[in-house]
Amino acid sequence: MRHFCVALLYSAMFPMLAVADDWPQFRGPSRNGVSAEKGWRSEWKGEAPVAWKAQVGLGFSSIVVSGGRAVTAGHADGKDTVFCFDAATGKELWKHSYAAELGDKFFEGGTTGTTTFDGERLFWLSRWGDLMCLDASSGKVVWEKNIAKETGAPGPMWGFTGAPLVVGNLLVLNVGEAGVGVDKKDGRVVWKSAPKDAGYSTPLPFEFGGAKFALFGNGTNYLAVDPVTGKEAWRFRWVTQYGVNAADPIVSGDRVFISTGYSKGGTLLQLGADEPKQLWKTKVLRTQLNAAVLHEGYLYGVDGDTTEKGALKCIEFATGAEKWSQPGFGNGGVIVADGKLISLSGDGELFIAPASPEGFKPSAHAKVLGPKCWTAPVLANGLVYCRNSRGEITVINLHPQ
Amino acid sequence: MKRRTFLQRATLAAFATGPFIRAAEPAKLRTVLIGSGWWGKNILKEAMASGRCKVVGLADVDANVLEVAGDQVEDLSGDKPKLYRDYRELLAKEKPDIAIIATPDHWHALNTIEALKAGAHVFVEKPTGHTVNESRAMLRAAHESGRVVQVGLHRRIGPHHVSGMKFLKSGAVGDVGMVRLFAHSAGGGPEKPTPNEAVPDGMDWDFWCGPAPLRPFSKKLHPGGWRNTLDFANGTLGDWGVHWLDQVLWWSGEKYPRRIFCTGGRPISGPPVLTEKEQTSDAPDHQVATYEFEKFTCVWEHRKFGGNDTEKHKIGSYYYGTKGVLHIGWRDGWTFYPSTKGGKIEHEDSQLQEPDGHNIKLLWADFLEAIDKRHAPVAGIELAHRSSVLPLLGMISWRTGRSIAWDAEKEQITGDAEANALLARPYRGPWVYPV
Repeated sequence: MRHFCVALLYSAMFPMLAVADDWPQFRGPSRNGVSAEKGWRSEWKGEAPVAWKAQVGLGFSSIVVSGGRAVTAGHADGKDTVFCFDAATGKELWKHSYAAELGDKFFEGGTTGTTTFDGERLFWLSRWGDLMCLDASSGKVVWEKNIAKETGAPGPMWGFTGAPLVVGNLLVLNVGEAGVGVDKKDGRVVWKSAPKDAGYSTPLPFEFGGAKFALFGNGTNYLAVDPVTGKEAWRFRWVTQYGVNAADPIVSGDRVFISTGYSKGGTLLQLGADEPKQLWKTKVLRTQLNAAVLHEGYLYGVDGDTTEKGALKCIEFATGAEKWSQPGFGNGGVIVADGKLISLSGDGELFIAPASPEGFKPSAHAKVLGPKCWTAPVLANGLVYCRNSRGEITVINLHPQ
Repeated sequence: MKRRTFLQRATLAAFATGPFIRAAEPAKLRTVLIGSGWWGKNILKEAMASGRCKVVGLADVDANVLEVAGDQVEDLSGDKPKLYRDYRELLAKEKPDIAIIATPDHWHALNTIEALKAGAHVFVEKPTGHTVNESRAMLRAAHESGRVVQVGLHRRIGPHHVSGMKFLKSGAVGDVGMVRLFAHSAGGGPEKPTPNEAVPDGMDWDFWCGPAPLRPFSKKLHPGGWRNTLDFANGTLGDWGVHWLDQVLWWSGEKYPRRIFCTGGRPISGPPVLTEKEQTSDAPDHQVATYEFEKFTCVWEHRKFGGNDTEKHKIGSYYYGTKGVLHIGWRDGWTFYPSTKGGKIEHEDSQLQEPDGHNIKLLWADFLEAIDKRHAPVAGIELAHRSSVLPLLGMISWRTGRSIAWDAEKEQITGDAEANALLARPYRGPWVYPV
């Protein structure tokens, strides 16, 4: 009933989209940076039409949208705050704060993880291990604990960053050497791994050979575990400088693409009965922060570290061959919807362009924020949500006119 | 025939064939890196970029750091260096022409002396030693070996430092009676202890601590954080102070201060913590050190709090002269503020390698030229020893809580047995303090 009402509200406010879609978790409904949404506007004249703006504090947390609510987090004055806005209007519905360190080690600090919607519940893992379940309508704490203290897992150098993954009754967290599984109704630890360094990616669910897995990076590997029991299926040694295995892997059939920064690069693995087989390696696409997006056989993503100026690139999934490069793009992010790239440059320029190996030919672009935009944009129900490190949120209205 | 002698003869033979016959490419200098983290790789990148060095080996006690560094060298140069946990094995097996040393300060002396004994020219990070007598032992080993030792004082060759010094020495600032050196940052606050952790897989933590006391592993220390823990380094005065104090010796031509007094503490960071469960750093959060030279007074100041625009510049040096004030800084270049009302402000921008804001490329080129021509490099061990001693003496004054008189001839603190004892420190076995 609620969703019906929300739909009515939308149709009253905006012309209908051909297909609308929420973005309830990090990297979208399918955890791959792709939205099924169709019919949104890919062109505008002059400045991009702004739906609303907000300020949430320092950080890089992405935005999630579900049931008419948009949620993100930021840091200010010794506190992290989770904000919930009306997704369409930007009206603040609730916020929840708790004491937290700024954590400005070699960057400006602030929140780095992303919340996860699960219907009327919202899950959040802070950099410092605060794990909480909030009521999505009120922001009230349903349960909370510090998962790092409870499991003894050390925080990786920049703290925990992966968002909680909901699998049935469990949350799978990138905490410890090979993850932690907790009961989502009360936070009870169901399974855990050795107290060693986690990586920074968000557990990615996938199925292979009739079994379900969660795949993520720890300090020195990418590994797949059974999300229900925590039993490790395989690990692939992948050592990135400072243990920064941050970008989510990309799974397509029996292929797994992994890519990290600090000049490490990418690789394509083939899954089989035994250990994964390495098909190719490349230095062409080194995704330090945001993972690339796979669309019709091509990967689109940002190559390079924040200390240089990254390039937006297209490479062929099957071979790793570079198709095009857009230098000077900076360390922003990209998503795909309706065959188009929605990309936000490191300095806050939003581009819409066909997702094509032929080249990067934007149909529209506009400066929507100042730097640094290390957070990929998000599309939900005709609105594009963008944020920068200072916590400025700008939401662009791409509903058809 | 020894390989090195052969190479020299081969080079001579190449010259003897005359300019019209293309000489064979000279053999590349076999180069190794000891301490393969962030800064070590910054230096090694310049070695590779020079086109004259072949990276044959890397050493690090952290297997992950080593693996990453090995990959990066292969990407950048195509060289496939052999990887070693133990620098002694690296030196014995690779017999390098050049050893770059970028370990934490408490390892510099043992690494450098071993490398010189193995016949390598050495590029070692600043400050030379962690205690004064280590630095002296490095100087002696350099003399005995006849090899070139360049110390990572890249501000000796950075373009705006060179031109700033030229401006200063031209008399444009007038007579300079006082110098103030400083490094300030904003923010600050009580330092929350970091939990100790199990030693990560692949890390030889006992070896990392080496001659220093063994303490529990913490990410506070590795990578990078050791600079603020006094068992392994000397805080901001040792890390930043040495660069600016070195500039003062360069400018003045004086070789040493006569008296030193240093005070400071941790009123903002809070008392140091070291328990079985957790630890903080223990370096002062602010310090003031006064160096009394023959013709001027030099004051060092650092603060890790309260840095804002009430001070025009946050890092660098002010030379106070009769004609005005010269600031030589970091990314902000140098600026002269004349005393006369309406006088012209002069300025030159910095020219640094980013993202880390240094001039290692120039310093590396100078190092190679010194090796080729057998002359002293721009930041050779002789002068770098004198410069490195300054922050170390500041730390001794800070530890003893009194001013100290420095007899540079004897390298002794006059009439103060307790302070003299701090010129060295006990080593943890089996490591032996160098002489």
